[in-house]
Amino acid sequence: MRSSRTKSRVIVASLLAVQLLFTFATHAATESQYSVALPGYRYEFPRDHFDHPGYQTEWWYYTGNVVSSDGHRFGFELTFFRQGVSRAATTTPTSAWDVRDIYLAHLALSDLDGGHFYHAERTNRSGPGIAGVSASDGRIWNGNWQVQWNGEEQNLKAVDPRFELQLTLRSEKSPVIHGENGVSQKAPGPGHASHYISLTRLATSGTLALNGKTFQVTGLAWMDHEFFTHQLESEQIGWDWFSVQLADKTELMLFRIRRKDGSVDPFSAATFVDARGQSTHLNSTEFSLQPTGATWTSPATKATYPVQWKITVPKFGLELETKTPLPSQELTGSSGTLTPSYWEGAVTYEGARATTKIQGAGYLEMTGYDRPFEMGSN
Amino acid sequence: MALGASEAIVGRLLLFYRLMVRPLFAEPVRTALTVLAIALGVAVVLAIDLAGFAAAASFRSSMETLAGDNDYEIVATGGVPESVVGKLAQLPYSLRISARMEDYGAIDGNRTFPLLGLDLVAEAQNHADAASAFPLANPEDALKYLGDDESIWVGQSLGYHVGDRVSLLINDRMREYIVRGVFPDDGGNAAAIVMDLAAAQRSLGRTGHVDRILVKVPEKDDGGSSHVASAAEWEQRIRGVKSEGESVTGGQAGAISAGILPESVELRTAGTGTDENRKMLAAFRWNLKLLSYIALVVGAFLIYNTISVSVVRRRAEIGIVRALGASRATVLTAFIGEAASLGLVGSLIGLPLGRVMASGAVKLMSATVEALYVSSRPGAIALGADSIAQALIVGVGVAVASAYSPAREASLVAPIEAMARGRREYIARVHEMRDLVIAIALAICALAASRAPAVAGKPLFGYLATLFVIAASALAMPAVVDLTTRLLTRALGATLGVEASLASQSLSASLRRTSVLVGALSTAIAMMTAVGIMVGSFRETVQLWMNDQVPADLYVRAAGVPAADRHPSLTLELADKIARLPGVAAIDRLRDYEISYESMPAGLASVDLDTRRMYHKGDFLSGRATGEVLNELRGASAVIVSEPFANKHHVGRGDSITLSLGGGKAAFRVVDIYYDYSSERGTVVMDRATALKYLPDPAPSSLAVYISPDASLSDVRHEIENAASAGDHRILTFSNRDLRTQALVIFDRTFAITYALEAVAVLVAVIGVAGALLAVVIDRRRELGLLRFLGAASWQIRKLILVEAGLLGLLATLAGVIQGFALSLILVFVINKQSFGWTIRFHWPVAILLGALTVVYIATVLAGLYPASVAIRLKPIEVVHEE
Repeated sequence: MRSSRTKSRVIVASLLAVQLLFTFATHAATESQYSVALPGYRYEFPRDHFDHPGYQTEWWYYTGNVVSSDGHRFGFELTFFRQGVSRAATTTPTSAWDVRDIYLAHLALSDLDGGHFYHAERTNRSGPGIAGVSASDGRIWNGNWQVQWNGEEQNLKAVDPRFELQLTLRSEKSPVIHGENGVSQKAPGPGHASHYISLTRLATSGTLALNGKTFQVTGLAWMDHEFFTHQLESEQIGWDWFSVQLADKTELMLFRIRRKDGSVDPFSAATFVDARGQSTHLNSTEFSLQPTGATWTSPATKATYPVQWKITVPKFGLELETKTPLPSQELTGSSGTLTPSYWEGAVTYEGARATTKIQGAGYLEMTGYDRPFEMGSN
Repeated sequence: MALGASEAIVGRLLLFYRLMVRPLFAEPVRTALTVLAIALGVAVVLAIDLAGFAAAASFRSSMETLAGDNDYEIVATGGVPESVVGKLAQLPYSLRISARMEDYGAIDGNRTFPLLGLDLVAEAQNHADAASAFPLANPEDALKYLGDDESIWVGQSLGYHVGDRVSLLINDRMREYIVRGVFPDDGGNAAAIVMDLAAAQRSLGRTGHVDRILVKVPEKDDGGSSHVASAAEWEQRIRGVKSEGESVTGGQAGAISAGILPESVELRTAGTGTDENRKMLAAFRWNLKLLSYIALVVGAFLIYNTISVSVVRRRAEIGIVRALGASRATVLTAFIGEAASLGLVGSLIGLPLGRVMASGAVKLMSATVEALYVSSRPGAIALGADSIAQALIVGVGVAVASAYSPAREASLVAPIEAMARGRREYIARVHEMRDLVIAIALAICALAASRAPAVAGKPLFGYLATLFVIAASALAMPAVVDLTTRLLTRALGATLGVEASLASQSLSASLRRTSVLVGALSTAIAMMTAVGIMVGSFRETVQLWMNDQVPADLYVRAAGVPAADRHPSLTLELADKIARLPGVAAIDRLRDYEISYESMPAGLASVDLDTRRMYHKGDFLSGRATGEVLNELRGASAVIVSEPFANKHHVGRGDSITLSLGGGKAAFRVVDIYYDYSSERGTVVMDRATALKYLPDPAPSSLAVYISPDASLSDVRHEIENAASAGDHRILTFSNRDLRTQALVIFDRTFAITYALEAVAVLVAVIGVAGALLAVVIDRRRELGLLRFLGAASWQIRKLILVEAGLLGLLATLAGVIQGFALSLILVFVINKQSFGWTIRFHWPVAILLGALTVVYIATVLAGLYPASVAIRLKPIEVVHEE
């Protein structure tokens, strides 16, 4: 798996974890230095919006759909990963450059009306302030890509030679804790789980520059924050994840874990959030995610992604068709870097709740399509 | 008409061939010697030019290794606070930022290479596509070996393989490292040892700072903008906005401006350091270049001589040719053409010779550059079209210029006049007085020029003065030769016999030729003498200076290899331990830093004031006592500066200089200027306590150890070495005598190339003597034949020629030493002072000079052997038959 280019969200970090685990095999106890996600965790905000160095892997995912004042639609993704590398007592004298965590970040802009997808990635050590997370300063950053909390507001800033983002996010709901009893279980056994927090409805406004042109934009964003230590197991080879923000102010988060044998893992799960912010956990039997045939094949990785889906949640009478205005939203990792290739892009939803027509927007993430991903073996 | 023109050309060529070329082939040995002299002259000029360019003008500072195509570099004395890296990374511009630790490591303690600490995570993951990226074969390795301080990556030319273990001496520690990767290093041009930044900080014992931050700015502004920011805009963006009204004074170490870069941190165009060093080396390169022209000047004398001889010997032919209708211009062109041909052939031979010599010269020069100026790798020796053209122009040009005067005289030969011999010399004698007057005028010019100040740091008037002296000597030579030979003729007849008397008379009879010959040889000897005196004086001065400046009983430094700009440091604990050893009365912890002052590299040193005051006999320009001067340094923003520093930067006692140290800029008062010969770049010295306020790294670069009167030197030395090995420190200890010897070894190595240049000049001159004597013999075959016919034995003929050679040598030596003395005064007190800024005390290096002069004298006499044997072989009958 060291050479594998599969992965993503879960997989980006998990893979990295395994890779680094392998790397640091010579060093004493690795995994045991970290805590695992166990039921009963007491969440406390805003502290829990920031980092948990006791857990090996942590990420912050910002995705959103915005539209400019002249009607130009964009999707954006800004994600920060933290991967614990070593918790061993550091050699003296300590150096600011000692690596306890590796910080990765992905940035993407989907020009939905222009038909272009831009993405960038970076990997850094924290070093003397190059990347990191600071609860006291309310910051999560990797170089000049950053999230700054100001009270209830979050300011996102990211710079790229081709485009720039400056967005202000304000949550309309309280944080959602996914799963049951504070853990989102991903595989059998204690600890094969994560602590998974979402801000499912973030009113978003700001500016966006692309090719020298500046757009004033407004829209909705979504934030996922997850921390855990080694949650997946080797049979789990890929993953499809949906965020759904419906016009009736309800949201859905759904993910499906694909197993090596082609089956859907029973630990696949979903969460429904009602208009007041009350969330309901759904297990794998309570919803279904089905590709409906349309695919897009990446010229870069040759991976074929199902870009149209049908979502059903009988418990809430929901039936949704998922489409994307831009099929080419694949983040391809450049060779030699840690970044895997995966599809993550803006999607639209159309369907009905019971008999009422409903529509919405959100993000879809698909991983493990470019190559079968085998965890724990070569 | 066309036919007529071409006939005329053919006719001229034929004439040129018969009049000029044929005689050259008729005397192949003499022609060959002249050509060889030119070839040597051209070769030396070319070699020094090429080597100087490679070693001093196109060299890359060692630290440019893997530095890539960056736009800016950020540096500071004592290192850039590493927090700057984080701030830069967060600037809202797509900058490529490479923070580096830069030092040196010695493999097995003897092969020194740049040691670079790079942020391997960023290099492997973010800069992978950049042209300058550190070429990791497996980018994952960067992560794989993070936190493993033993991991190193090495340049291919070092010859290691992945997995090899390498012992590396860094400062005073020898440790084992494992080669994790090998990177292409351009045949050794980018040879280096690379570590991750964290490992490098620990290995070097310097955390909290990085040595340099390289920054590459985007071509256009971010967000797809078409705006191209100017250099000024970038500098402002990177530096940040400085808050107004903030003044950082002496004691306020670490004061931080509102900007991103602390005030003392320098933001400059990438490669500025190398440019500064190149600028600094300009004077060094200039002096060598000019020295290289000596061989050519000597060659010019020889061309002059050769053409003069040709003219004298072919007066009859010239007369006939003129009588047959050849114009003056034709004759002039013919002789110039002869010289030009000799020059061209000599230059063509000189080209490959010069290229070969350049390889040797570049080694000598880069050793000097390394010892005195900066750690560097010489650039490639590039024999380009311009170098070739320059060599040809110089070679042919010198030949033509030096042949002009005799050629002109040839053209003035009247058709009838040419029939009678002997009149030429008469004319020369008439000019003797006029030349002497011009010589005296030139000598006065030389005196005036030597008083003029430097022009843009170059002693141009000093060089001009040397040229005046050489020209004056050349012009005064006929008068000197005439006078001397006349005085000698009688004396020689009485002591060495009639042959000697004849020899002396013959020299004075062919005065013009003799004086040119003496001029050539004496110029070479003069240069040898002058440079000998200069170097000898310098050496003596340094020795005297060391008596005062190297007073400690023992010196201790880290085993890492030092250079002018690199100072391996000693662990502080070891220094403290040594200070407490029994038998150690006091230690002086010296620390050297690299600073940039007025955009020129300089040294900054800190010393233990108390120890210094007690043991040191300072030598100050003001003549004040050490204690008095050093007292003014205590607890104050005060420094003393070295004489070269004062001269370079026009700083005087009582002036104030501003240095960028630690967090800010601070002003220091110059309380005195001290004599120093250890660094040409100039040094600023301050109290250790003062330095530590700004630059908190307390590790000393070396220790001067004073032992108690009742302790034994060898015991203390042993104790120190034990203390070091107990703590696993690698150090070198030098007794006072060791250190002085070592200093002189470096000194002599520095001047090796100077000696080599002189040797070539002398060789050219001796070749000239041989050639000229040969001409004399051939010219006087009638006379010599007649002597033989009249019964002179062959030994008498040989004696005659050898005495002539001996007389030539003697005259040249006498004239050369006098001229050399004058030149040495210019070298020591004008050129050296203005180029390098140090005061040298005049000293006659008697033994060396006597030795060198004797060798030259013997060589000159020996040079007469071949002409003598030619003379002996002359068949009396044949010669007389010719009459």
